[in-house]
Amino acid sequence: MFPLAQVLPLGMTLPEGLTPNLDLLLPEFIVIGTAIGAILPELLLPAGRRAAATAWTSLAGLVIAFVVVVAMGPSAELAVQVKDANGAVISGLRMDSFAVFCRALITGGGALLVLISMAFTRRLDRGHGEFYAILLFSLVGVMLVSGVSDLLSLFVCLELVTIMAYVLAAFRRNDLRSTEAGLKYLVVGAVSTAILLLGIGLMYGWTGTMSLELMGQKVWGAVAAGESMPGLFLLGMALLLSGLFFKVGGVPFHVWIPDVYQGAPSPVTAFLITASKSAGVILLLRIAQAVFIRPLGLDAALHNPLAQQWVLVLGALAVVTLLFGVLAAMAQRGIKRMLAYSSIGHAGYLLMGLAAIVAEGGQDANGAQYGGEALLYYIMAYFVTSVVAFGVIIVVGNASAKVPGGGDSARAYEGLWSRSPLLAVAMCLSLLSLAGVPPMSGFFGKFLILRATVDKGLFVLAFIGAAAVVGSLYFYLLWIKSMYFEAPPEGAPKGDDFRIPMSTKVVLYGGMVAMVLMGVWMPPFYNWAHDAAASLTALAGR
Amino acid sequence: MNPLLLIMLVPAAATVALFFVDAEAKKAIRAISTVATGLVLLISIGMFVGFGDAPATWTANADGGDTAHSYKYGFEADWIQDMGLAFRLGVDGMGLAMVLLTALIIFAGVMVSYTVEKRVKEYYICLLALVTGVFGVFVSLDLFFYYFFYELAVIPMFLLIGVWGSTTKTVDQNYATMKLVLLLSAGAVMALVGLIAVWADAGTFNMVLLEEWEFSKSFQMTWFPVIFLGFAALVPMWPLHSWSPAGHAAAPAAVSMLHAGVLMKLGAFGILRLACTYFPQAAAEYLPYLALICCMNIVYGGLVAISQRDMKLIIGYSSSSHMGYVLLGIASMTMIGIEGAVFLMFAHGVMTALTFALIGWFYDQTHTRMLDDLGGLMKVMPFAGTLFIIASMASAGLPGFANFASELMVIIGAWESGSAPDAPGWLIIPAVLAVWGLVITGVYLLRAIKDAWFGEMDERWKDLKDQRTFGERAPFILLTAVLLLFGFWPQGMLNVVEQGAKPLVHRIQAGRAQNDKAVKLLVPVDAMPRAEDSLETPKAKTQGEER
Repeated sequence: MFPLAQVLPLGMTLPEGLTPNLDLLLPEFIVIGTAIGAILPELLLPAGRRAAATAWTSLAGLVIAFVVVVAMGPSAELAVQVKDANGAVISGLRMDSFAVFCRALITGGGALLVLISMAFTRRLDRGHGEFYAILLFSLVGVMLVSGVSDLLSLFVCLELVTIMAYVLAAFRRNDLRSTEAGLKYLVVGAVSTAILLLGIGLMYGWTGTMSLELMGQKVWGAVAAGESMPGLFLLGMALLLSGLFFKVGGVPFHVWIPDVYQGAPSPVTAFLITASKSAGVILLLRIAQAVFIRPLGLDAALHNPLAQQWVLVLGALAVVTLLFGVLAAMAQRGIKRMLAYSSIGHAGYLLMGLAAIVAEGGQDANGAQYGGEALLYYIMAYFVTSVVAFGVIIVVGNASAKVPGGGDSARAYEGLWSRSPLLAVAMCLSLLSLAGVPPMSGFFGKFLILRATVDKGLFVLAFIGAAAVVGSLYFYLLWIKSMYFEAPPEGAPKGDDFRIPMSTKVVLYGGMVAMVLMGVWMPPFYNWAHDAAASLTALAGR
Repeated sequence: MNPLLLIMLVPAAATVALFFVDAEAKKAIRAISTVATGLVLLISIGMFVGFGDAPATWTANADGGDTAHSYKYGFEADWIQDMGLAFRLGVDGMGLAMVLLTALIIFAGVMVSYTVEKRVKEYYICLLALVTGVFGVFVSLDLFFYYFFYELAVIPMFLLIGVWGSTTKTVDQNYATMKLVLLLSAGAVMALVGLIAVWADAGTFNMVLLEEWEFSKSFQMTWFPVIFLGFAALVPMWPLHSWSPAGHAAAPAAVSMLHAGVLMKLGAFGILRLACTYFPQAAAEYLPYLALICCMNIVYGGLVAISQRDMKLIIGYSSSSHMGYVLLGIASMTMIGIEGAVFLMFAHGVMTALTFALIGWFYDQTHTRMLDDLGGLMKVMPFAGTLFIIASMASAGLPGFANFASELMVIIGAWESGSAPDAPGWLIIPAVLAVWGLVITGVYLLRAIKDAWFGEMDERWKDLKDQRTFGERAPFILLTAVLLLFGFWPQGMLNVVEQGAKPLVHRIQAGRAQNDKAVKLLVPVDAMPRAEDSLETPKAKTQGEER
């Protein structure tokens, strides 16, 4: 099949217990190859044609990778599998349906990100190659994250995502805001990385393994034997989750979000809000599956005391995150800052789903299914919706630099319906989808989350989640009001002034269709999420 | 093709079609909307006429005797099999009455909206999207889609009021729009949590199967208030009513028509279809207290209407006052009361739509609705004035109109339940106040007629235009005719409504009997006549069933 697996060991002997199975990583290699290829036009082509060449190369690579991911399908084998002396798998990348779903989401969504970035990069006079190469490397990180089965690869893959994102956030290095965003992100991110690493160390200290699967066995072995878990292990767990909360944007690890999302170039914000957040969700799901879900073989009467405590902690954090995000977003006057706070609110919904997975009734594999599929559907819907919103934000921001308040302000959106119906409709639909109004995709995601929480008897959480829908509707509608009720301001760009590139148009039209489709004709999308979540929970059965 | 599917597909298809019509082709846009809604009206009338003979598609509690509840014109398509979701349509008599009401009002509303000149294309797109959602609620038999369409109806409302509405001295448009949407959504999401809890308990979204599922009493007592309040916000029940008059006052004519005529009925319909049907035991416990809250609706709403000077606010408060009668009919838990409530939902919908259409007609020309500015309009628009008086009289309960028949039924039902031998003494109060409520209605409506249509005419109004052509008059004549038709022939409507109301009333009565049984269990052992004389004795049973 894939020659790398045979070529690599030339003259070398593989370490004992290592099975590379590199052909399973074909999509990742394609994206890495594309990333390197994307730098070439920068060296070879005249300045005028670099932007388009790098962008289209990247797009082609991601589309091919998407097709390959879907065509390859899930596999029972692990890529880069490492066994210890006893023959137990201690490290490797899983290629189950869950990983396939996530990699398809990241490659497909990544292609959309590249498409909306074109409106941004064509205005740059240099650095096109770097932008796309770094973006692609970061996407590879998220793709790898979806398969992690041990804490070591978790750390390495997550750092690949994060370090690339530092660079991207500071990409416009002459812009004060962008530099500030990069620096803030770096400082806060570095601290959270240290926390994450300390957590991993402490967890290793008790379990003596990096493998999530073996760790789960150790935890459930202790539960079955009635032993208590040492406090340092629990602390390690808390630190690990803190590190991931940083990625997802959960309170109290959210402080970096508003400034970074506002200051970073818009396509980068789109990347942070979608792909980077997805990485956190994917990892939270993987860890919840390993540690909290009761393996099928065990007695159903066994309760993990860990789960009983954690559902309270996660539930409380979900509520705080939700309310903070929604309330703070109401006061924002800049659209990127509003979306930044609202993304904290969305993190609250994701944590609600996580609490449902962890909840007492959700410990068996079947019970966790609802939460798992809800989270997957939610991030899928959120991905598409956010990309459409940022497609509009990039174009409006480019054209409205001269509007008082800047291209980010409410002024730039006033009366948009008459100045550019396409942009207004796309923004309106994506805001409604973010608010969770039928028939948009966001509605079904929220419905699934509420279903998972109510099913587990977390009624307080469900009611607060429902109330937050109304709160978020308020500030999303304020923006729709600006676009549709107000008269266009004097001298604002209109019609052809926006210069909407073909690439953005493709995303806007396609995205609108996809958003409505995912909210009305959900079966295919739901079944993907369902199967992916099922493969995740099936692992618990081992 | 299935008629219920058609009445949803036709407006939905027209909505999509309008996207591709040139925005300047106003005539084509109006024509498409009129034809689509006219078609829907014809289909609805067809269903209404053929309802008695139509075969039942599904029957819940088929062997339950009086509680057997059948749905006709059923349609089913699998949606998500793993979740048990299906796109399932069907109506009983109550649903069909609401479908006919919606079809009448949207058809009249589209014709009345010919005067809209601003952003015509978007206007009709929103209007038709809105009505698709409304039809969806009345005909869905799957909890998920029920909620889906319910919420779908709210957002076009935001745009319709926000863009085409008006700010007046009395109401700020932005404030009213936002308040309406947020309150309606708050009610909706609250009900949603309740609906999901219903699903979690019964394990199905199928509303026909759900009727056969027996929820435990404690479950009913917990979740009835949640679902009830969620829908009651839309009715609007006092004290959740304040969004409604403000919303009316800011909305354009056709939207006020739909809003008062149909949207408020969505709430009452949800209470009947979901809260009372699934939780009959809890309904029997809670509904008597609802009768007291209705008094606030009826009397307080009426008194507030008296103190208004803005015509639309008068009718807006009057609507929430009259929805109090609907709630009172529901709270009576008697056959005549609940049938009357559904009939009143229909009659009030048509009457209030007619009134708002007429107010819209002169407001377009005068740009004021304040009683102090108006006066003597009868001289320049006798046709509109006459109809306004007819509608007002109908609202005040003049015999000969559908409103009279239905309000009478509601009051009789309230009296019947209040004067039952085992009813608490205070339960008679609402019936008495309801009669006085009609007097209050007379006060504010007669005064509105006097100040707006008669008296000195301001010079400004001498060039006002009456409805002259048949096309202009048609929607008004249609609505008036319907009011008169069912006023003189209430049985035509009641035959249909009864098919849905009868099983519901029997369910609630059965729930009440079950409650009484349970209360007897709590009586201390020595208070019981004899040890073997327990629940199962025929005596206890007949006592329960007598009511």
